[in-house]
Amino acid sequence: MRIVERRIGDVTILQLIGRLELETGDLILRDTINRLVDDGQVKVVLDMKEVTRLDSAGIGMLVSKYLTVRRAGGTIKILHPNERTDHLMDITKLHTVFEVFNDEESVVKSFGGAIHGV
Amino acid sequence: MAQTPFGRRILVVDDDRGLRHVLSELLQGDGHTLATAGDGPEALEMLGDGSGFDLVLLDIGLPSMSGLDVLARIRNMDSPPLVIVMTADDTSATLLEAVRRQAYRYIRKPFPPGTIIDVVNEAGTPASALSIEVISAKPEWLEIVAPCTLEMADRIQSFVLHLEAHLPEAVLEAVASAFRELLTNAIEWGGKFDPNRKVRISCVRTKRLLLYRISDPGEGFDIDKLRHAAITNPDDDPMRHLQVREEQGLRPGGFGLAMTRSLVDDLIYNEARNEVMLIKYLDEGE
Repeated sequence: MRIVERRIGDVTILQLIGRLELETGDLILRDTINRLVDDGQVKVVLDMKEVTRLDSAGIGMLVSKYLTVRRAGGTIKILHPNERTDHLMDITKLHTVFEVFNDEESVVKSFGGAIHGV
Repeated sequence: MAQTPFGRRILVVDDDRGLRHVLSELLQGDGHTLATAGDGPEALEMLGDGSGFDLVLLDIGLPSMSGLDVLARIRNMDSPPLVIVMTADDTSATLLEAVRRQAYRYIRKPFPPGTIIDVVNEAGTPASALSIEVISAKPEWLEIVAPCTLEMADRIQSFVLHLEAHLPEAVLEAVASAFRELLTNAIEWGGKFDPNRKVRISCVRTKRLLLYRISDPGEGFDIDKLRHAAITNPDDDPMRHLQVREEQGLRPGGFGLAMTRSLVDDLIYNEARNEVMLIKYLDEGE
């Protein structure tokens, strides 16, 4: 997997491209988000449109890094989940954890208010 | 798309001159060194003992000599390169013969450019290639024994799912995800990613069901002690198990069983829980 990173204001958008699976994309995602947190960038959007495969390790990393960012006072939101990602999030009850959006403008605007850590 | 670990020496064998050209341009652009051949004898002459190439992209429908025969000859070389079979022939007999003859991967034509780049970049080295032992290669009963490595999980999944490529997309996706979860569980927890340990996989197909049985070399597990798995979470706390995993020093995850249970019709473990059967019932015509 590769990640294309860009910023809109203080919101970081990570476009995930390829496989988010055990020992493949999961470690790249971990390292990228750890770096963002170290840099104080804690308003993060994961654009999942081009994720071609997702397994339980990938989902585990999504949730783990969600907790990392929340502890740093920010949050991660999901943009453009494809049908498969949406289904897996439903199965694993993660729709109750992540805010999910289908257009970029809305997700960026949603960060307007203050974010509090957990 | 996977990162290119290093440039590979690749031989493209296909009687379609246009495809040879396109693949050459595409893969050279990705940092690999390319050579091409239009038929089997030319390819074998270029390969010699095999040591000059890392990978062969091999068409099956070649003139004068079948690609499967070329594959068999390559496997007998002193330093055989990995062979990725690419073909428009989607019969299970061809796929199973490719598995039996130790093809590394199987790609059905036509394929998007990104697919071939990913498969090439994800391929291991010829020296690290491990063999799949084929116990039964019948379309209705495929049974293989394979070393417990993650790379092998990709290979096995690729072969097994090509056998079911005619299924409706939603069914295939569900089966693919469930199979992948159970296979990686077997390789990671049962086999400890140890290439000297083996996982045994049977895929049985009837008109009305698909059955996958996976046996791992581990001691099994006690489901009552799976506090690090999402299936033990209360409904209102889908992340509780992650704290347990963190305390136990386990990687993030633990959603595999919860996912698999929702994707297939039946999931049955033996008493020790080192063997599992995944069953998907099919509607007539699927």
